[in-house]
Amino acid sequence: MARITLENIKKTFGKVTALDGVSLDIKDKEFFVLFGPAGAGKTTILNNIAGIQVPDEGFVKFDGEIVNLVDAAHRDTAMVFENYALYPQMTVYDNMASPMRSKLYHKDEDYIKTRVHEIAAMMGMEHLLERLPSQLSNGQKQRVAMGRALVRMPKVYLMDEPLAHLDAKLRNAMRTELKSIQANFGTTSIYVTHDFMEAMSLADRIAVINEGKVVQIGTGDAIYDLPCNEFVATLMGDPEINLIPGKLAKSADGYTFTMQEGGMTYTLPADKAPFAKLDEHGKSEYDLALRPQHLSYSFEPKEGYLKCTVYSYESIGNKSVIIAEAGGQQLRMLAPNGLRVQIDQDVYVDLDLTHALFFDAETKDFVARYNEEAIRAIAEPEEGSDA
Amino acid sequence: MKKTETSTGMKVLLNVLLIIYAVFALFPLVWMVLLSFKSDAQMYNTMFVFSPTLDNYRQVLFKTDYPRYMRDSLIVSGLAVVVSVVVGVPAAYALARYNFKKKEDIAFQILSFKFAPEILVVLPLFIIFQKLHLYDTYLGLIWVYQLISMPLLIWVVRGYFEDISVEIEHAAQVDGYSWWQIFFKNLVPLIRPGLVSAALLAFIFAWNEFTFPLLLAGSKVQPITVAITKFLGTDTAHYGQLAVAAVISALPAIIFALVIQKHLVRGLSFGAVKG
Repeated sequence: MARITLENIKKTFGKVTALDGVSLDIKDKEFFVLFGPAGAGKTTILNNIAGIQVPDEGFVKFDGEIVNLVDAAHRDTAMVFENYALYPQMTVYDNMASPMRSKLYHKDEDYIKTRVHEIAAMMGMEHLLERLPSQLSNGQKQRVAMGRALVRMPKVYLMDEPLAHLDAKLRNAMRTELKSIQANFGTTSIYVTHDFMEAMSLADRIAVINEGKVVQIGTGDAIYDLPCNEFVATLMGDPEINLIPGKLAKSADGYTFTMQEGGMTYTLPADKAPFAKLDEHGKSEYDLALRPQHLSYSFEPKEGYLKCTVYSYESIGNKSVIIAEAGGQQLRMLAPNGLRVQIDQDVYVDLDLTHALFFDAETKDFVARYNEEAIRAIAEPEEGSDA
Repeated sequence: MKKTETSTGMKVLLNVLLIIYAVFALFPLVWMVLLSFKSDAQMYNTMFVFSPTLDNYRQVLFKTDYPRYMRDSLIVSGLAVVVSVVVGVPAAYALARYNFKKKEDIAFQILSFKFAPEILVVLPLFIIFQKLHLYDTYLGLIWVYQLISMPLLIWVVRGYFEDISVEIEHAAQVDGYSWWQIFFKNLVPLIRPGLVSAALLAFIFAWNEFTFPLLLAGSKVQPITVAITKFLGTDTAHYGQLAVAAVISALPAIIFALVIQKHLVRGLSFGAVKG
């Protein structure tokens, strides 16, 4: 159990900058998720915390103590590697026992036996204990890798995409299991993923990482509802958020928004708070962002609906996604399964602008959204209370 | 059906060809063994039918310094391989794991020691060895044998190290092991097949080495390859004894080759071929 602090970590590999001034403050007992696209530097952050790599600049602190010069063995962490990194010559049992057989974290064989069996039972892999890693499927290897980390009670668990290779059912089960393990042990956990569902469901807080920098830190809800820029907005959520570039113009009783493609002009619903922010920002080019669930459609022409054609219709399980096209503008929206939809048929789309977010078209940064106050109150409940 | 017939014909043909080649390759060895049992009197006037004698063996093993030459060969080749392993395995690890300037150049340079004809370097080496008082010493031969045994070992073992994902080392570090523990507990078992086959092959190469000991050693240190020539006198040639010396000196190489045969091909190709 420990509070992990990173201060302005920089790390380069040759000419490639992997981390460019990363600062994080991970609280004791927190489940902290590092989320970002491939190559963002998430794994490098974990390696720096584990002590596998040493930052070129900046400090890694455990409970306020600088550990830059403490080697990986003495940092008391447990790590799940993305490529499993199982010891090929050892059985699953010996792999899992390995952390408890080192001189530093030594436990007696009786304890090891109970502990390994306990964890193996939890992961449903007791029947695999005598096998060698080469005799396991990828999903099983990944569970062994998890098990090897969970047998110990380190200061921090570092997990690099530990569920990526499990099948969907097992992944959901393990996600629940992980969350409860973490809650029970109360061990600080840092978890790397590129799956936003995983990030949202597991995290106490999420840090969105891109190109070696921390883009945004916050609770899942805060990042989902108040993304700090378009990159974060598009990364969180599936189907992806709709970005509609257009012009904002001041009218008598508020604002109108004219889409760049599609040609529709909307009168924005009156609301003081976002209008004040837009006033303050003072620009006219914006990207209006709207989650797919806030678009509705009709196959009959309706007043105020935008005429589009169907670009695609695909099922995502319990519901489907319609992608409609108006000019060059694509709009994603949710629809029930089993609709008889033809590609290129007409569809009429309505935007529920009371959920709209506004991004500066040039800098792509967040400017304003509707209901910001209310959302902030829900999404950041502990703000300032235990920082 | 026709196809099977032709392939049967092909099989017969292939086997005949292989047998011809085997006879061609093995006959000198068989002939040597036969000679070793012939007395000098029967040397030139018998072919396969003769009255075998163990005189030659008695003569070579008990009346000459043969055991000493054998011992010298074992010491020089054995220690050469030991040095190669002790120095070569860390070198292979470094070449596989660390990035440094001119890494590939250094690796190729090491390999190129094996390309150069020995006779090319032996003359300057002779002079250097004289100056350094390494001429005719165990140390001198063991040192120069590194040219033969080390490159192969480094390249084979390097391939094995490259095949081990670096995360395995990281995982072991996080588990609380020191570098030495990781090396012996996790890495050595994984490179063992390559290490064993490369080391044994290096031993055979060193054992068979002739040019270096011929020119860089004299009377004090005499590996068997050089000592055998002694049985060819200026006036008389004891072919029987020569054959005995050759047969016995070939034994270690043959025994090793048979023992490791199975691992040899797998051990040498496994690390080299990326899969």
